[in-house]
Amino acid sequence: MSGGVDSSVAAALLVQQGYEVVGATMKLFCHGEDVPDRPCCSLDSVNDARRVCEQLGIPHYVINLETRFGEDVIDDFVAEYERGRTPIPCVRCNTFTKFRDLVKKADSIDARWIATGHYAQLVDGELHRGLDDDKDQTYFLWGVDRAVLSRMLLPVGSSTKAETRAIARKLGLSVVADKPESQEICFVPDGDYMKILRDRLAADSPALSRGPILTSDGMHIADHHGFAAYTIGQRRGLPGGFKRPMYVVSIVPEDRAVIIGPREELLGRGVVAREVNWLGDPPAAGMHVSVRIRHRARLAAGELIRVEQNEIEIALDEPVSAITPGQSIVLYDGSRVLGGAFIERAAGEALAPAENRRQSLPILAA
Amino acid sequence: MPPTPIYLDHAATTPVREAVFEAMRPFFGPRFGNPSSTHRWGREARAALDEARERVAKCLGARADEVCFTSGGTESDNLAILGVWREARTAGRNAVVTTAIEHKAILGAVHEAKAEGAEERIIEVDKTGIVSRDSWNSEVRDDVAIASVMWVNNEIGTIQPVPELASDAKSKGVVFHTDGVQAFGKVKIDAASQAFDLLSISGHKIGAPKGVGALFIRRGTKLHPLFHGGMQDRGRRPGTENVAYAVALATAAELTIAESAKECDRIRALRDRLEAAIVARVPDAVVHGRGAERAPHVLNVSVPGTDSESLLMALDLQGIAASGGSACSSGSISPSHVLTAIGVKPDLASAAIRMSLGSLSDDVCIDRVADVFPALVMKARQFAASG
Repeated sequence: MSGGVDSSVAAALLVQQGYEVVGATMKLFCHGEDVPDRPCCSLDSVNDARRVCEQLGIPHYVINLETRFGEDVIDDFVAEYERGRTPIPCVRCNTFTKFRDLVKKADSIDARWIATGHYAQLVDGELHRGLDDDKDQTYFLWGVDRAVLSRMLLPVGSSTKAETRAIARKLGLSVVADKPESQEICFVPDGDYMKILRDRLAADSPALSRGPILTSDGMHIADHHGFAAYTIGQRRGLPGGFKRPMYVVSIVPEDRAVIIGPREELLGRGVVAREVNWLGDPPAAGMHVSVRIRHRARLAAGELIRVEQNEIEIALDEPVSAITPGQSIVLYDGSRVLGGAFIERAAGEALAPAENRRQSLPILAA
Repeated sequence: MPPTPIYLDHAATTPVREAVFEAMRPFFGPRFGNPSSTHRWGREARAALDEARERVAKCLGARADEVCFTSGGTESDNLAILGVWREARTAGRNAVVTTAIEHKAILGAVHEAKAEGAEERIIEVDKTGIVSRDSWNSEVRDDVAIASVMWVNNEIGTIQPVPELASDAKSKGVVFHTDGVQAFGKVKIDAASQAFDLLSISGHKIGAPKGVGALFIRRGTKLHPLFHGGMQDRGRRPGTENVAYAVALATAAELTIAESAKECDRIRALRDRLEAAIVARVPDAVVHGRGAERAPHVLNVSVPGTDSESLLMALDLQGIAASGGSACSSGSISPSHVLTAIGVKPDLASAAIRMSLGSLSDDVCIDRVADVFPALVMKARQFAASG
């Protein structure tokens, strides 16, 4: 229970349905200072969760998973930026922290079910998108161990956010009913992830060091102060003076280079992804699926053209913008989540071949 | 039906005694006066406050003017450490000596003194938590402003040789403080025959409410106040006195002393029985502080292959209240600094469960815990082994 409205209502609904509910708040990190109004992990949030549990008449515990979360999520977050990728820590938190480490704690008190406030639905042991398409969180849940699905309860997954808030008000959960929502990463104060990187990486880390901003044909436009500050599709903070809007189209960490280009250079016709997890039997190559390559992005149609143990490739029917290494690709059959993987790279011919691009950058030899 | 709840966390806090509650009551009603006022209401309050001070003093073998009422153990400890050090530093005594197994109220105050320029010296303890005399002798020298050693450790119950340490400190001209919060009513405390200069006690550990405590300050001990304002408590503790709570502390202290011998025998027997039952059924259970002289109310045990967090949850769900290491402000458990300091390995330290007995403990509840605890431990181990 994060102390937010979704998990609070989830707990309340389960109590109503007659379950014996135990509230748990995960303590995941400590910045040494309290961050007010920060969901998940600040003291205020723990206190709100505790108060909701008191109101519901159920016990509440704080589970310290700081060490594991630090290794599985925060360390990886930093390492991904170092590699010029844009990580998605919520996926790893769900996979390793919530639906693995916390499940072990559930085992230790004989709790058969593990419930969260996620907007997703379970139907006959299958994971489906939440009813509220705007709130659907399956993008973050594809990585959970298939075996855990049979123990998951997602009580608010078939509600809209507005309905969840209405339930909270009706039940008198005034502590959380109108709490503002955060889209930010819980362990990144004020959304400033560069601060986390500066705290954890050496000052001379390539990811935080000066490097060139280049066009895809190798023209040196300006310098940046660390490629970790850039993500694919980003427009803000790039040098001006072009006829058309320019975007970050790729990051080449070994050259410390940030490559920019016009919108069409962002388009990709295919995706190669790794660390594959299936929530059912693995589909065969040739299957037509719909995919999501970014949280809240529109679903795109495509064909699964290659399925290996740890790598898949999807050919997209229509080009898609900003295929970002480190983000997830989630595969759906209708509303059902087949599984997902972490995007390794865009595939297909829409982008200039990487080798050519690198050869055209003699300036980087220094 | 859920089982009857069992409270085994008396070292954390205790219920307010009925007699204490009754003794306080008039001061929330007709006897509401401010002790500093000169009128009838004030005089009445002042009389009650002075009497409370005398009663607490008597329980400590002290004189009334040596008792300073505070908001509790933490304030008493802070006033002692910072108050004495801020005064003594001007006289060339800049070092503060303490142990690594003190309560956070002492360690926090010592760290604050360090931040303000003090030299911090931490004396070593042995594996049962007893102060090393070698370490003590080498650290307690004539440049020390104050040395502070907790009388009874709140986590493992170890009793320090406070009277001897206090005498030794005195012979070196070093002010000696002891945190007596867990010791009051459990060991013999007598300011008349023992040489400590300062001693902290806390109300809510002995059946008074949270928010009241006292610091014994031996006559002639100079200290700087933490607060600044009026002349209450001789200027040592400005602020309108909490008369009701002072009366509560006095009443609770008297009741505690009166029943002490019998109650200590009673809970020691219960504690020893519980300890024996656990060790019999879980032979590799480690009882921390075992081998040293221990206060009768504390049992701190680690079972290899378990963790405090899960075990405390499981116990709580069975209605049994115990505690782990030090609970942080969020309520999560981190390994105890005390266990770490006495050399307990991290795995074992993060498995520690402290059960502390007191007025709510009886045969029935001890028997049930002796049953439930080993059973939960076995199950926790099975889980640990299977995954």
